[in-house]
Amino acid sequence: MNSTTRTIGRTAGVLTAAGAMALVATPALADSHTATVSVLHAVPDLPVDVYANGERLIDDFQPGTLTDPLSLPAGDYDLALYPADAADASGEPLLSAMDVAVPAGANATVVAHLTEAGQPALTPFVNETGDIPAGQARVTVRHVAAAPAVDVRAGGQVVVDGLTNPNEESLTVPAGTVNADVVLAGTDTVAIGPADLTLTEGATTVVYAWGSGDAGYELAVQEITGQHSAPSGVPGGSAGLADESGMPLPVGAAVVAGLALAGAGAVRLARSSR
Amino acid sequence: MRPAAATAVLGLALAVGAPTAWAVTRPEVAAGPPVQRVLERTDVAPQAPPMAPTSQAPPPGAATLPPVTVRDAAPSDAPVAPPPVRLDLPGLGVTAPVDPVGIAGDGQMELPEDVDRVGWYRHGPQPGADGNAVLAGHVDDREQGPGALFPVRDAEPGDEVTVTDAAGATTRWRVVSRELVQKQVLPLDEIFARGGPPRLVVITCGGPFLPEFSSYRDNVVVVAEPVVDGAP
Repeated sequence: MNSTTRTIGRTAGVLTAAGAMALVATPALADSHTATVSVLHAVPDLPVDVYANGERLIDDFQPGTLTDPLSLPAGDYDLALYPADAADASGEPLLSAMDVAVPAGANATVVAHLTEAGQPALTPFVNETGDIPAGQARVTVRHVAAAPAVDVRAGGQVVVDGLTNPNEESLTVPAGTVNADVVLAGTDTVAIGPADLTLTEGATTVVYAWGSGDAGYELAVQEITGQHSAPSGVPGGSAGLADESGMPLPVGAAVVAGLALAGAGAVRLARSSR
Repeated sequence: MRPAAATAVLGLALAVGAPTAWAVTRPEVAAGPPVQRVLERTDVAPQAPPMAPTSQAPPPGAATLPPVTVRDAAPSDAPVAPPPVRLDLPGLGVTAPVDPVGIAGDGQMELPEDVDRVGWYRHGPQPGADGNAVLAGHVDDREQGPGALFPVRDAEPGDEVTVTDAAGATTRWRVVSRELVQKQVLPLDEIFARGGPPRLVVITCGGPFLPEFSSYRDNVVVVAEPVVDGAP
């Protein structure tokens, strides 16, 4: 217990700095008072209770589960994770992060996970929320597993290479379903998958590689919607049959005929009056 | 003498009367309230109560945290609702098969090559879901002639529209607005909105034909809202 606490104390110290930095570097998009925060549990075999500022936020949070986006007032948060079976907020937290700055307008996911060396950690990731061109999807890959560098392949092609824990990479790709797997960097040794991933148009799909050699490696998926763009227009016709710019031919013909008739009448009128 | 005068008067009447009659009887460029105003209305959701946000931020300073919902994060197959397969406007004699479409290479909405078919913008809402389901088709084609949506420029408020999906279920709609809008000022964000009350937007081309661009200047935009009476 003592060694665990020390380890966690170290983790927490690192986290506070990293958390504050990561979340501050966020463009303000939402309204001016709240931030959008999701929490992902990616530490295998360890159900926890999550506390924010001493108040219980999530009860009995299971590995491999994700909260829906929470709208939180902007501010500094003290986060702590306790074993789910412990009495409420008693004893030493498994993980903690003090004064995590959550600025207004931020969209972030806080991930409880293992480091490459297998130590528990809390890492806040800033989610990209900029507009995505019509027809496209954004995919963000995050390495939060107790594993060395990996490559991510889609349809057998490497699309992200050499990704290390706890880093991420984003791509914008045509919307649709891709067959993806995760391999040890530079090899064909499959660590996770393959799995079919639905990349929704106009949304960011965040794919987490998580787990450990002992507990197994898995994928977790988070979808952040509402970044779609409208098409640039609607085409629709090439013949001019529906043209409404001028008079149709029969009307024009009637006018010409009418004028001719009037002209003829006028000429006869003029002649007879001589 | 007399017949000559009568001929002149008759001719003048014809020359003036024909275009006047044409101008009076031609379809109006718009019917019902402006499309943009209709699309910006959010208070007409007859069957869709406003969705409660997943979590409500407490006022600043309040200690209470929002309730949290949790779900499995494993990759899952998204449930696929049956796509629309047929569009009917019985009053105008329009009945057309519908294909799901996306984005063309130039960034515009993709349309079926076949002018007898209509495209449904598959990245947007299904007909009947929250937001605007957009259906569009070519008004005509140099080789194929008039398209399925050619008569849509005569749609009037109150006209009935039916959309049938792949499972055979139908949604029923009533036209509230039809307008000719120049393509440069088409309110794309409003037309392709994915939130708000369920609406059906049917689009084709119209207005003056610009031969130098082989295309029309305007879009014909028809907006319909759900029929709520539940009659068969």
